[in-house]
This record gives sequence, C-alpha cells and structure tokens, in this order.
Amino acid sequence: MSVTRDDVLRIARLAELEVDEESLPILVEQMSRILDYVAQLSAATGNNESRPFVPGPDAIRFRPDEENPWPLAVGPDELAPVFKGGFFVVPKLDQFE
Amino acid sequence: MTGEAKSAADRLVKVKRLNALLTPVKELRKSLNEQAGAARPTGVLYGMPVAVKDNICTLEFTTTCGSKILDGYRSPYEATAITKLKAAGALIAGKTNCDEFAMGSSTEHSAYGRSMHPLDKTRVPGGSSGGSAALVAAGAVPAALGSETGGSVRQPASFCGVVGIKPTYGRVSRYGLVAFGSSLDQIGALGRSVHDAARVLSVISGRDPKDATCEDRDPLRLPTVPESLQGFVIGLPREYFPSDLDPAVRRACDRAVRLMKEQGAAVREVSLPHTQYAVPTYYVIAPAEASSNLARFDGVRYGPRAEEAGDVRDLYRRTRGEGFGPEVRRRILVGTYVLSAGYYDAYYRRAQQMRALIAQDFRNAFDRGVDLLFTPTTPTTAFKAGEKLADPVSMYLSDVFTVTANLAGLPAISVPVGRVKGLPVGGQFIGQAFLEDEMLEAAYALERVVPATEEA
Repeated sequence: MSVTRDDVLRIARLAELEVDEESLPILVEQMSRILDYVAQLSAATGNNESRPFVPGPDAIRFRPDEENPWPLAVGPDELAPVFKGGFFVVPKLDQFE
Repeated sequence: MTGEAKSAADRLVKVKRLNALLTPVKELRKSLNEQAGAARPTGVLYGMPVAVKDNICTLEFTTTCGSKILDGYRSPYEATAITKLKAAGALIAGKTNCDEFAMGSSTEHSAYGRSMHPLDKTRVPGGSSGGSAALVAAGAVPAALGSETGGSVRQPASFCGVVGIKPTYGRVSRYGLVAFGSSLDQIGALGRSVHDAARVLSVISGRDPKDATCEDRDPLRLPTVPESLQGFVIGLPREYFPSDLDPAVRRACDRAVRLMKEQGAAVREVSLPHTQYAVPTYYVIAPAEASSNLARFDGVRYGPRAEEAGDVRDLYRRTRGEGFGPEVRRRILVGTYVLSAGYYDAYYRRAQQMRALIAQDFRNAFDRGVDLLFTPTTPTTAFKAGEKLADPVSMYLSDVFTVTANLAGLPAISVPVGRVKGLPVGGQFIGQAFLEDEMLEAAYALERVVPATEEA
C-alpha cells in the first residue's frame, strides 16, 4: 500500500503537522514501507467476528463521575506561552479576520 | 549535603559521558540534597537513588520526553509512581534520556542526543528507556524507572545487562506518565538485580484513584527467593526461537533453559501462532493512539510555540512541525492515516482483532498448564549506533519478542543470561496477568544460577 506525496500532505493537514518540502520524499518512502509492512494484517486469517481486545481488568468498571480536582503546583499562567486575563491567547483564525 | 545525596550525585556525574542523564549536575546536586533532608527514614527505599525516565512527570525536574516541543517544561503535578517512591524514602536522582515520547528502540531519537552503551560507546543502549538502563548498568544508580509501550524497559535492560520489569497493565498507575499508547503504556522498573527492580516495582504498584485503568489492588508483595524451580512449568514458544535467531543468543537462552531444568523446572514447547503478526499489529495500534495523544502538543497551553505564526492553524502546524522529531512525525502520520476514513477497517479494526487473537494465544498456553513462558528478550545484542536509523521497519523488528506482552497486557521481565563477544544477552519470562510474584520467583531462581557475565 504505497502512499503518494499528496497522500502525505493530506494526512499532515489532518494531523496539524507542517511537513517541509525537503523531508517529503523520505517521508513518502518511509510511510510506504511501514504501511506495506503492516498491510500483512489484511492477509492474516483471523476471526472477523472477534471482539476487540480490552486491556486491564476483564471488564471496564466505570466509577462514579465525581469531580476530584487535585491541586497543581503552578497554574496555566506560568505554563502557557501566552496567557492573559484567564485565557490562553492564540492568533485568530484566518476566515474570521 | 548528606552522605547519600552526595555519593548519588557523584556517581551520576562520573558517567556523564554516556549522555544518559538530562538533568544538569548543579540542579541535581541541589535537589538530591533537599530530598535527602526530607526523606522518610522509615521508608523501605530510604536513601535509594532512583533515576526517572524523562516522560514521567516530576516536580523537582523538567519533563521534556526527550522532545524539543517540551523543552524546559516543568509539570505542575507529579506522577503517582514518583509520589509513592518519595513516600518510601527514595531519592529522585534526575531525569534520564529517552527516545522522543518513548518512540524508538535505541535512544537515538532523543532531541538531546543519543545515549551511549556503557560497555561500547559505538553501540546503542536500546530504547526507549535507554538512559535509565545505561545508568543502572554503569552502576550510577541501583534502580531506575522506565516506561513500556512495546518493550522499552526490557529491550534496553537486555542490551545493557540489567534487569527490567514490565508489570501487568493496570498494576501501576499511569497518572503522570506522558501518554503515548494509552492501552499499552505502563511504568516499569530497571535494577542491577531482580531484587532491586522488584523492590521499586512493589513500591510504585497498587491502586490509584487518579487513574481509572489502574487495578483496585494492594501493592505487589515480594516473594521470597525459592530454593528451586520444582513445580514450575516453563513454556518455550517455538515462534520465539526461529531458525534465523542469532546463534549466540540462542546459545545463551539454551544454557538458561538447561539451568532451569537442573533447578527442577519442567520445560515444554508451546505455540503462540499469531506471534508473526505482533509487530505489524503494534505498529498500527501504537501510532493510532499516539496520533490522538500527541494532539495536545500545539503550542497553546504549555511548551514553546512557533514564532510569528499567521493564524491559529498555522500556529499548530508550525509548532508541531518544528517541535517534533522525525520518528514522532512519522508515527503521527501513520497513526492519522490508519484512523482516516477509508482505511480504519483495513488497518485499525484489523489490528484490534489481531490483538485479541494474540492475547488468546497466551490464554491458551496458560490454560494448558504452563506457568510462565521463557524467550529471548531481543533477537540480537546491542546494535551499532546509526545501523537501523534509515530503515524504521528494521528498528521496529528489534521489539519482535517484547511487543506481545504489551499487546496482551501481561507482565514480563528481562534477566541477563550471558554475554556474546562481551555484550549482554537477556532472557525473558512472560507471566500471567497479576501473577508478577510467580514470575519474580522464577527470575530470582534463574539469576542465582546463571553466569550472567560469562560468554555463552
């Protein structure tokens, strides 16, 4: 299952990831190799009806949905690159400008 | 400075050339001194320095996950495993180098440079917890924390000649472990001996209201060292001893099996027929989960952000494009691809079904009376730096014997079983879910008799 340059660019847009022109050819080649490798799963004889595996306890036990805030050592004002008046500051979306 | 803190810092400074520790020396000395003053003298790990992989959140030190996207990041909370270690009197001895976001098998994918193998600087210490393994092997700390998603504790433990334990999924809280593949991730322990690693595991295990996937159980109780392996049935899965297995690795494992038989263990061959699909299954599920988990790193809430971004999407893309290294970018793209419309059924759903079959293989083996499985931990000894960088699939295959335990959520341990041309070889026990005590008994017994530092 080889991918094209356009496939990689489309997926990069979905993943919100900038990919520069320089690294594109190698990414196309390596992604194709990885996807070719994992494609062997399609050929595996398996039970299509089998249920997906769930790790951990045999059944997921939902616990009561309680709010349990644990104190943080520092707040978002110290962690965020730009934080003003209780809000994270980001540039505008183009279409709303 | 107290004696314990000073000697711990001195030992870590001595092995600086390994590039296994990310914490600056001055900061480390200061923190160790403060911690030693505050440590509980009654704790079971009182005074024991434990180095911590840099994807586990600590209040004392930065948590970068080996990535530029978290350069300088100081977590506002600490992992439950760290809280438990400190409550037991342990000293958090700095943060260790690792592959970026734990994605890698060599520590070459760290944004802060690769770590060196302590016995041969031209080789890798394994990964992704390579920094932790290298520090333990070099004698700088008796134990360290690592994390496992596909073998990232056991593989470097095997390469460096130390003990590495991956607990059952749910045995140790994941709170404060930066998520990579949430259905696979577990914090594990590395130690100079089975006892050192097991003591640390025992302390960090047990229930945690902060992690819904952490099993509601008491901490692991350490078993005593058994007199023999009488009564143990050890299964040897034939798929883990393929005809092209490195002959020296096979020799070392064969010797370990002979020693276990001499200790009274019954050994029988078993089959885990879906093993051949484990690596492709893992490399669909893990990147899929990673692509979702790593969406949070966007330059808005924490970490550095790209300068002069045009609009908010440009900010996301440029911050992530500049902040993530090549392996992380590759896995995010693969993960996004296998989850995208038109490919989900062919890749992700298929991988989830295969995961169920792989887990069933283990249940079948254990249902037939086998207590534990024994395998090589890795197909080769530590490889040369740069040898596998150009071919990601070749790098992924170094986890071929370890990923199955993560996919099935089972406990596993790597124990040194000999050397080949001076390089360590690890043997792996895989146990039944939440029966770490049984697995540790066998590991204690093997460790006692196997000439781990002699050529196989």
